[in-house]
Amino acid sequence: MEYILTVMVLIGINVILATSFNLILGYGGLMSVAHPIFYAIGAYCSGLLAIHLQIPVPLSILIGAGIAMVLSFGVSLPSLRVSGDYLVIASIGFQLGILHVINNLDFTGAAGGLTNIPVLNEGPSRSLVFVLLIAVVAACAVFLVGWIVEGDYGRAITAMRNDEEAFSALGRNAMNIKIVLFAIGSGMAGLAGALYAHYFAYVTPEQFGIFTSAALLTMVVVGGAATTWGPLVGAVLLTTLPQAITFLGLPVSIMAPLQGVIYTTLVIFFLFARPQGLTGGSRGGGGLEAWSASAAFRARRDAE
Amino acid sequence: MSTIVRVENLHKSFGGIVVADDVNLSFETGEIVGLIGPNGAGKTSLFNLISGVIPPDAGSITLGDHRVDQLPMHHRARIGLARTWQNTRMFHSMSVIDNLLIATRRYPGESLARILFRRRALDAFRQEATEKAVALLERVGLADKMHEMAIELSYGQQKRIGLARALMSDAACLLLDEPMAGVEGQAYETIIRVIREEAQAGRAVCVVEHNISFIRDISDRTVFMFNGCVLASGSVDELTRDSQLTDLYFGGEHPQ
Ligand SMILES: Nc1ncnc2c1ncn2[C@@H]1O[C@H](COP(=O)(O)OP(=O)(O)O)[C@@H](O)[C@H]1O
Ligand SMILES: [Mg+2]
Repeated sequence: MEYILTVMVLIGINVILATSFNLILGYGGLMSVAHPIFYAIGAYCSGLLAIHLQIPVPLSILIGAGIAMVLSFGVSLPSLRVSGDYLVIASIGFQLGILHVINNLDFTGAAGGLTNIPVLNEGPSRSLVFVLLIAVVAACAVFLVGWIVEGDYGRAITAMRNDEEAFSALGRNAMNIKIVLFAIGSGMAGLAGALYAHYFAYVTPEQFGIFTSAALLTMVVVGGAATTWGPLVGAVLLTTLPQAITFLGLPVSIMAPLQGVIYTTLVIFFLFARPQGLTGGSRGGGGLEAWSASAAFRARRDAE
Repeated sequence: MSTIVRVENLHKSFGGIVVADDVNLSFETGEIVGLIGPNGAGKTSLFNLISGVIPPDAGSITLGDHRVDQLPMHHRARIGLARTWQNTRMFHSMSVIDNLLIATRRYPGESLARILFRRRALDAFRQEATEKAVALLERVGLADKMHEMAIELSYGQQKRIGLARALMSDAACLLLDEPMAGVEGQAYETIIRVIREEAQAGRAVCVVEHNISFIRDISDRTVFMFNGCVLASGSVDELTRDSQLTDLYFGGEHPQ
């Protein structure tokens, strides 16, 4: 039972992460892969505040999310100057740079990780209560992103993603939108990180590296970029799939690489064959159109 | 008449390719200027420089009373510049009407905070923008396509949508890059009429076109560009009488 609840917590965390990543990457078309670093910033900042300053956990969680939001300038400012592949590279640099710092500071626990983080709630049904909380937060995340991308603001996001120059030439300010999308998306990732930290009481730097970027990318691509439900579907599938594989009883030496192979295969398969993901309609794909190799998408891009 | 756009001593090159070589030009209110020249002359680049897609190497651009050559694109647009694109550049995952709504002056989706706290005002802006967009689509003869995806229409129809989209903001200056490409039949007359009406409303219009008879029909003054230089300015007939220019324009192949 405890195992199932723990998997459900992970699903909730990943729904928040994938949904917020989708806001930036899928809807915004902003090719940053640094999303996990904001997850890390939320986790570490909230954990450290609670450990060293005895800040009440609910408050430290909010502060952690707020810090992630502010530090999103680290990617949104580069995104004003460069886009596409260059932004991918700039964001990887930002992610690995901060990760390197975390990995080498004593007070963050360095490579060994941050331990003894105070938990948010205790008691016999602690996990169940936490699952309910995370379900509510995940639902709010899906709802918030759905609200942002609908209506007039959503139309502006879509237009910016379709053609930033044409958008700007019509008097619209792409800079504001980029900063807002990164701030909200990164704040949500920070919130997910803080919740994670105060449930598991332990985080390590390796959780927030490129592998996590790849996992989140897979969730968004498989579920459907620039769709409301895609990231949720992707997060549920790709959180439970690795768990299911563990029941096969394979040795660790096969298990670990197998996960990587599965992610890679799924991303490549979907980008080629079904860029709109599992839930997207025929016009899906959002910001990933540029990466998609499917004939229909290429044709449409070249028609521009 | 007053000057809307003034371009002075403008220079721009990409590596060895000079796209603006000491360009001096101005566009006046109510005036339609035809901009002609062979492919690669730098006509589109001049529009890109004026609208802010590319920064100049030297020179100045003023729009009304504002020096705009260092301003970002959206500032220039808000001061009063609108343009169309040679290759239409529709927002491809959006409907025709949504393509137009984006261009309205008081766009209701400019900020999330305003969406939360100023719902009423925004409803009015949206209403106003929608009515305007529908009226413009009627003017270019595409009101029946309003809810179709812009990218699914023909090239000529996309050109007309691009024109309507540029008219959404009531800009003082209109830069039209080959508005007639792919436009045929009745639509051709319609576009001529729309461009004339906009000039009569006091806008400064500059039109790039390869269709010389269209330029002759519509322009008050024609400017000839070659290799980034403005070589001559006058009426189409004056320009076409100059055999040197026609040689440059037609590469000496089609004496006309
Ligand atoms: N961004 C750019 N980078 C490099 N070369 C460019 C760029 N834009 C235009 N050019 C070159 O400048 C020249 C002028 O192009 P353009 O302004 O499009 O000509 P026109 O519109 O008169 O046909 C062409 O040789 C084109 O290849
Ligand atoms: Mg051109």
